[in-house]
Amino acid sequence: MIPDDLQDQAALYALDALEADESARFEEAMRENAELRAMVREMRDASAGLAWSIPQSQPPATLKQRILADVALEKQGNAAPISASRQLNWIPWAIAALFLVFCGMLALDRARLERQLAELRRIDPLARATLVTLASPKGELGDAKVIVAWQPDQQSGVITIQNLPLLEKGRDYQLWTIDADHKDPISAGLIHLDPNGTARIRFKPTQRADQVKAFAISIEREGGGTKPEGPIILIGYA
Amino acid sequence: MTTAGGMLTPQQQRDREMLAQIGKGDQYAFAQLYDRLGGPLYSLALRMLGDSGEAQDALQEVFLQIWRRAAFYDPEQSSVFSWAVLMTRSRVIDRLRRRGRRLRVIVASADDDQTDIASAASQEESAADTAGRNEEAMRARSSLNQLPAEQRQAIELAFFNDLTHQEIASQLGQPLGTIKARIRRGLLKLKEQTVL
Repeated sequence: MIPDDLQDQAALYALDALEADESARFEEAMRENAELRAMVREMRDASAGLAWSIPQSQPPATLKQRILADVALEKQGNAAPISASRQLNWIPWAIAALFLVFCGMLALDRARLERQLAELRRIDPLARATLVTLASPKGELGDAKVIVAWQPDQQSGVITIQNLPLLEKGRDYQLWTIDADHKDPISAGLIHLDPNGTARIRFKPTQRADQVKAFAISIEREGGGTKPEGPIILIGYA
Repeated sequence: MTTAGGMLTPQQQRDREMLAQIGKGDQYAFAQLYDRLGGPLYSLALRMLGDSGEAQDALQEVFLQIWRRAAFYDPEQSSVFSWAVLMTRSRVIDRLRRRGRRLRVIVASADDDQTDIASAASQEESAADTAGRNEEAMRARSSLNQLPAEQRQAIELAFFNDLTHQEIASQLGQPLGTIKARIRRGLLKLKEQTVL
C-alpha cells in the first residue's frame, strides 16, 4: 500500500505540478518502487482523458496536408544515412565507398525533388496547390516517389513520379481522382513512364472535382477505362 | 486508460496497431492516427495556448514527433492516447515558457461553477465529430462532472494552466495540504471512473 503522502506526490507528478526539485526527488523514489510507477501511469492515463473534456475543435484540413507532406519528405530523406552508418561499421572499404556514391546519388535525388517542390511552390498558381504524397497501401512499392500537386481552382494538377516499376505490355497505369461529390473515382488520365520509371505529367480529371479526398493509381488494361477495374497500387489522401 | 481489469479496450488495441505500423514507416497508418487524435490534441493545444495559429504549429511538431518516435513507444509506460496527450502538453508548455508568460489564470467563482464544462462543450461540439469521438468525449466529461467542484478545479488548473501545487494553493487561497489531497482524490476517482 502506498502511503497517502506518496500518493499525493504521484498525483502531482502525473500532472507535472511538482516543483523541479520535488520532481527530481520523486523520480528517485519511483525508480525503486514498481507499485508507485504503476500508480503514476494510471494517474497519467486518467489525466489524459481531460483532453476529451474540453470543447472539441477540428484543426484546418490544410494542417493535415502540411504534416503529411513533411512526413513524406522526411521519410525520403532519412533512409540513406541510417543504412550508411550501419554499413560503414561492418563492410569492407571498397563496398563502403560504393555505398557512399549511392548515398550521394540519393542526396542529389532528394535535392532535385526538393527543387521541384520549391519550383512548384514558387509558381504563383501552384503556390495554392494541395500537395498529396501517394504511397502503396501495404508499403510494397516503398521505392516509388509519387507526389501530386493539385490546383482546385484550375481543376488540374501535376503528378511527379520516380521509381515506379514498368508494366508488362497490355497494361497501363491510370490516375484517379476520388471526390466526395462523385460515387465513382474520376479518371485523370493514363500515366506513361519513361524507361527509368519516371514521369512528370499535367493532368485534368474528366469531370469537375470540388471535394477531392484522394488521388490513386491503378493498373488497368491498355488504354484504361472510365472506372477502375484493376488493383489500386498507390493512394494518397488530400 | 485500460479497462477495470487492466485489459486493453478495442480502441486502445487499434491505436497500438496503428502506432506499430507508423514505427515501420507506414504513412497511411500515420494519416489514420492523425484523423483519430488530431481533434482532441488540437483542442488541448488551443485551450492552453489560446491562439489557433500557435496551436496548429504545436500540433505539427507533435505529429512529427509521433512519426519519429513511434518505433520507440513503450506500451508499458502509457496508452497511445496518453502518450500523445503528454507530448502535446509538453510541447505546449515549452511554447508557453518560451513566451515568458503563463496562461492567464481564470479562477472560477462560485457563480462560474454554474457553467459546467459539459454544457459549454455541447454548444461548441463540431458536427464533424465522429460517433466514437463523441462517445469518448462524453465519457470523459461525465467522469469529470462527477468530481466535486473543488477537486475538478484544482486538477484543471494543474492540467490546462500548467500551475504547480504551490501556485494553485496560492491562487485559490487554500492550504497546500488541501490542494494536494484534492488533486490526489480527484485523480483517483477519475482513474476509477474513466475507461477509455
